[in-house]
Amino acid sequence: MAEQAIKVENLVKHFGKDESLVRVIEGADFQVDKGELVALIAPSGAGKTTLLMMIGCVEEPTSGTIWLGDEKVYDNAWLTKETRKIRREKIGFIFQAHYLIPFLNVIENVTLVPQTNGVSKAEAEKDAMALLDYFDIADKAHSMSSQLSGGQNQRVAIARALANKPQIILADEPTAALDLTRSVSVVKMLKKIAIDQDVAIIMVTHDEAMLPLCDRILKIEDKKVVSQAVPENTKMI
Amino acid sequence: MINLAQKDVKHTLGKFLVTAMGVGMLLGIVLIMIGVYRGMIVDAQVLLNDIKADLWVVQEDTLGPFAEASRIHDDFKDTLRVIDGIKSAEALTFQNIQLPQKPQPIRVVAMGFDPLGTIDPINPERIVQGHGLEREHYEIVVTDTTGFKLGDRIPLLRHSYKVVGVTHGTVSSGGDPLVYISLKDAQELQFSYSNNRIRNDRARGFKNSEVLMVNTVVAKVKPGYDVNAVAKEIKRFKYKSVYTAAEQKWILTKNLVKKASKQIGMFTGILIIVSTIIIALIIYTMTLEKMKEIAIMKLIGIPNSMIIKMIAQETLLLGFLAFIFANIFSHLIYGKFPKRVVLEIPDAWMLFIVVIIASILASLVGIKKVINADPSSAIGG
Ligand SMILES: Nc1ncnc2c1ncn2[C@@H]1O[C@H](COP(=O)(O)OP(=O)(O)O)[C@@H](O)[C@H]1O
Ligand SMILES: [Mg+2]
Repeated sequence: MAEQAIKVENLVKHFGKDESLVRVIEGADFQVDKGELVALIAPSGAGKTTLLMMIGCVEEPTSGTIWLGDEKVYDNAWLTKETRKIRREKIGFIFQAHYLIPFLNVIENVTLVPQTNGVSKAEAEKDAMALLDYFDIADKAHSMSSQLSGGQNQRVAIARALANKPQIILADEPTAALDLTRSVSVVKMLKKIAIDQDVAIIMVTHDEAMLPLCDRILKIEDKKVVSQAVPENTKMI
Repeated sequence: MINLAQKDVKHTLGKFLVTAMGVGMLLGIVLIMIGVYRGMIVDAQVLLNDIKADLWVVQEDTLGPFAEASRIHDDFKDTLRVIDGIKSAEALTFQNIQLPQKPQPIRVVAMGFDPLGTIDPINPERIVQGHGLEREHYEIVVTDTTGFKLGDRIPLLRHSYKVVGVTHGTVSSGGDPLVYISLKDAQELQFSYSNNRIRNDRARGFKNSEVLMVNTVVAKVKPGYDVNAVAKEIKRFKYKSVYTAAEQKWILTKNLVKKASKQIGMFTGILIIVSTIIIALIIYTMTLEKMKEIAIMKLIGIPNSMIIKMIAQETLLLGFLAFIFANIFSHLIYGKFPKRVVLEIPDAWMLFIVVIIASILASLVGIKKVINADPSSAIGG
């Protein structure tokens, strides 16, 4: 029996009001379990990023409920003032761009959130080195992000997302800037992380070639979220 | 814990140092301005201390001879000499003259006194070459900043003056270079007119009686006599204004410099406000440049307090470095000013406090920006 990592009930998101009201999500209901890598697909502007940001406690929903693990974090209002604490303790973010802090070196970028969470510098660095080793960039630990290639930076960004040992990883088009080979290796890496660390991962993607590597597909349709199985004919590359 | 300010400053060290240097120069000018004021107070007293007179007798109801024009007859010294308690009395003149110097004539204050008299206003410790005035005519003692050398001949009006002595550090109460000439020469320079004018006056039957005027008569009081009592005595009977050395000092430092201090105070105040605004603007742009990183940090869960700490520490560091540069800068250039600039440590500390307060105020604009930053803006666009 899989454990729930994310549960969303009747989630609604509107932007603006009156004439400028934009209805983005109108009652989303879905669940993602621990160890699952789920693809989130929809046309551009359909609300993928918005949905991810609501689950990530960045964007406040209009109404509904959100569960992260067994903690209810939103019930028509945030249930804690410190949404940022939830973010740094439970969630790892990955984006299309690496968004590393340019004035910190690789290992500082990776250890920033764990150290903020109270992990000692030595321990955070030990964990970070293990992660960097895992992503084959341990030799770059003391380089600045500007000295790294796009692929290396993206791997550092993934290491950063994992550094706080999150229960959930929210990845917004993490492969959009990478070529096919690198994309495949990143998504495979995410799948391995999901299994190894029992993390729930939602990955926004426009790349159909990535879908077979995922466990399931969430699709935004008519402002609602529907769950689909991965199409058989595209399975395995 | 990672110190974000330290990392960020290290990342943009060159730019940060240049910025601090720029603000430092501005603050250095603040220190120089205060130094100019301190210099004025010191300058105002040099002459007074060299003359060492107990009493200054000037034209009635004036604050002469420095703060206001004053004219009295030079024979008033004889009147003074017979007053009970007066040890010695001499007439003095002060006038602005131009000395012919290359490439430009130099403006100096010439002090006239009787070289054969009982009070020698030249402080012997200041003579670095030659000697004081010894003759009644056509000798001059110059201060070294005039550029004249011992033995030089300086043409003034109808005569040529020989440089018999060079002093160091003598300035008028206004900080101009000071030269000494005999009283008789001074009176001639001050009150004699061109040949045409003299002919004209003669034709009208005027007599040039102004030659016998001086600007002040100074006196020393015999030991055992109360300076204030003697001053009161002279005031009562002789229809003159009389100032003790202390009063004259007050007139020069408080009264005369007061206006200047307002002027300089205004300048200093404006410079400090401008510096604060500039520091604030720099911090604001430095924060703006980091908006993306700040939004990312907020997004991944870094608390405001850490980001605010970064901004505040950078601002304080900027202020502190600027303060250090200000002191270096002001010490490098203060000697190059034509008039005396006196840099005092308490003034530097005062500036330090002002800079720290200004930095704290300036960091508020950056902090406000941080608090309002939207974490979701990190991924926008
Ligand atoms: N802050 C906002 N204010 C108003 N409308 C917004 C805002 N953010 C997103 N939207 C709108 O919400 C919709 C979904 O945006 P987004 O989640 O970025 O789409 P996707 O990631 O699927 O491309 C878009 O129509 C967008 O214009
Ligand atoms: Mg998007």
